[in-house]
Amino acid sequence: MTDTTERSDRTLPAEGVGGDGDGRRLAYLFISPLLVAFVLFYLWPALNTLVGSLFRWSLLSPWNIARPDTWDFVGVQNYVDTLTSGRFWNAVVNTLIWLVVFPVMVTVMSMLVSILIWQVPRGGALFRTAFILPMTISLAAAGVIWTFMYDPDFGVLTRFVEWAGLGFAVDWGPLTFQTADWLSNPGVIDLGFTQIRFVNLSLIVAGFWAFTGFGVITFTAGLTAVPDELVEAAKVDGARTGQMIRHILIPQLRGPMTIVATISVIFALRTFDVVWVITQGGPAQDSEVLAVLLWKQAFVFLDSPQAGLATAVAIIMSVVLIGGAWPYLRGMTRVAR
Amino acid sequence: MRIRVAISMVLVLTLVLAACGGGGREEAAVESGDTAATGAPDATTTSDGAVEGELSVMFSWTGSEQEAFEAVLAGFEEANPDVTLERVQIPFGELNAQLTQQFAAGSGPDVTVVLPGLIRLFAAQEFLMPLDDLWAQWLEDGAYTESLQAIASVEGTPYGVWFKGNVNGLVWYTPERFADLGVEPPTTWEDFITVLDTMKEAGEEPFAVGGSDLWPLTQWWDPVLAEVAGPDVFNGLVDGSVSWDDPAVVEAFEVLGDLIANYYPADTLDRGFVEATCARVDGAAQLQLQGAFVNLVARGECDDSLVPGEDYAFFPIPQYDDSTPAVQTISGDLFAVNANTANPAAASALAEYLGSADAQAIWAEQGGFVAPNTQVPSDVYPDVNDQQAAELWPADPSVAALYDLDDFIGGEIQTVLREALQQFVRDQDVDAIVNTMVDVDTRIRG
Repeated sequence: MTDTTERSDRTLPAEGVGGDGDGRRLAYLFISPLLVAFVLFYLWPALNTLVGSLFRWSLLSPWNIARPDTWDFVGVQNYVDTLTSGRFWNAVVNTLIWLVVFPVMVTVMSMLVSILIWQVPRGGALFRTAFILPMTISLAAAGVIWTFMYDPDFGVLTRFVEWAGLGFAVDWGPLTFQTADWLSNPGVIDLGFTQIRFVNLSLIVAGFWAFTGFGVITFTAGLTAVPDELVEAAKVDGARTGQMIRHILIPQLRGPMTIVATISVIFALRTFDVVWVITQGGPAQDSEVLAVLLWKQAFVFLDSPQAGLATAVAIIMSVVLIGGAWPYLRGMTRVAR
Repeated sequence: MRIRVAISMVLVLTLVLAACGGGGREEAAVESGDTAATGAPDATTTSDGAVEGELSVMFSWTGSEQEAFEAVLAGFEEANPDVTLERVQIPFGELNAQLTQQFAAGSGPDVTVVLPGLIRLFAAQEFLMPLDDLWAQWLEDGAYTESLQAIASVEGTPYGVWFKGNVNGLVWYTPERFADLGVEPPTTWEDFITVLDTMKEAGEEPFAVGGSDLWPLTQWWDPVLAEVAGPDVFNGLVDGSVSWDDPAVVEAFEVLGDLIANYYPADTLDRGFVEATCARVDGAAQLQLQGAFVNLVARGECDDSLVPGEDYAFFPIPQYDDSTPAVQTISGDLFAVNANTANPAAASALAEYLGSADAQAIWAEQGGFVAPNTQVPSDVYPDVNDQQAAELWPADPSVAALYDLDDFIGGEIQTVLREALQQFVRDQDVDAIVNTMVDVDTRIRG
């Protein structure tokens, strides 16, 4: 312990890194390579995107900051066009479904699973591995797997529903739902001004399967930090399992909960792989989320100069993402302090 | 604290935007286009006129089709031993995006497979080499018709060469089941509807469609539009001179809507093209309106014991109205030459070869191929289905060759049409699909 303290004293100024002139210069020297890489490969493209959203251009007629003859400045018109586009708002609704359902699903389910595994006296590692394993494959591969799962002929889900006799269809006014056609027409809630299409839920389940391992890891780490004496004291006081979870574990897991929820929000907002592989945003535009719309505008709608619109969507997504990441960032800076 | 949060936000915003941003493109992309003119064919041509050097060729075929194309390329290499071909295979679904990025960056392949929609876009950017001399010779020889040249051209200048043809608007059926139902391949629209009704009355599913793959729905739209509205309206939609709310187009949507409402299977949007093909082969459905390539797919993907002509055959979709001119919907793959190729002589030679009867006969012999070059003899085709499909190829100038509409238009209109057709399968709302297309196709409004 004494040795460690002495080593720290030799390498760090008493007031921390950058506390005096030499230390500050040294610190800047150390981070300068990273800073250069950050400016070149992150900051510059980001600024390029931001400014590019103010111009009309496409991949075939690119906007170039060094060539004024390529400038077709439109100001905020790309944002106006985006925000007045029915296609954009359709993508917003589908993305909102992801933003609401996915984080709740991941956070609640992975916390419950982690607590259950935590309480299992033996074989916990086996269960954890089972939940974490899907994380090891790419989201595109997960999409392919779930395409098979939902297959109307030989899909596991379809066959299970048939075998278990769970097939049914509901048609209650604005709500229609059926335990079939998972990717083409599982149902819809018609709100009049918009529709909540259940094909998005089919995709969210696939994303949840691929992502929930992250939640399990994070909550498991949080559970290991719960003081044993706290749990033992609760047991001695006669707390039942439900009370223990509610009054001991959940309060102790607030930190992991914030992290899992925030990362899930970020994942949900930028989700692309699973949607693209399984439905490509279809049928029609039923599952088109913002990231898919952005991709189509940039790389599919090649005949019209829409890259400016795509960058406008990217900027809007980023702003929303910052809002979603706000609790996490606050938490991180709090930890840093 | 606030400063740290603000810095964190800037960092996150930067990272996200960096991930989303395409950034500006290099000058090479837009300044190019004149390299072909300044290129030095002599540098890649030997003293005896043979070509040499390295050449990249991009294509999207896989499996047995890739093997067939490799055999075609081998023929070129055999004839031009001093040329080294670099083969670049790109999945079909990524072809347009990959080509666009590569050509825009000035790093496109020397010769590439391409659809007419992209030819038009690339030609406008001067990315492609004009091929007037080749086409002048082919027209003179009678190898191609002027309507085929028009499909490969932009504003009168040909930029593409035909390589792999396909005839659309073919209704595939199983002769044995037709015999069981007591029906014959129909030759009029009325007979066609009668056959469909007979199937329904017998408890059979008339059609297999495969609408989850999007593009099979356009295989329905094209022949219905061509038959109902005629070639002028069809080509007017292609070039943007006819609006989607034209009465003839509306009528075509109504006809298609009736077919969907009365004869489409309920799971149209649940199954893709291959599943639909196999559903017809297995007897789950009786008919499939598709292209000539089904001849290869049915055996390759569903049942390799099928005998073409006996176990499965096709009839052309009947004329909707006898008064409309003869039309044939087609599709196919063309090749174009990069205007900035470092080896223009060899690239042109490869393009000429791919458009020749010799090259196309190599694949035609292997099946699943309709040679666009009319000089490929019909006896090279390995079975009766391919032979009959090849006979439908619009070699006769009096038959209007109508190229696959959405592939020809490309871009956002193509995507929206495909998506709108999926929605049309669900609601058959003619007004809605017409309005959707009018909104997205702004060409006629300028």
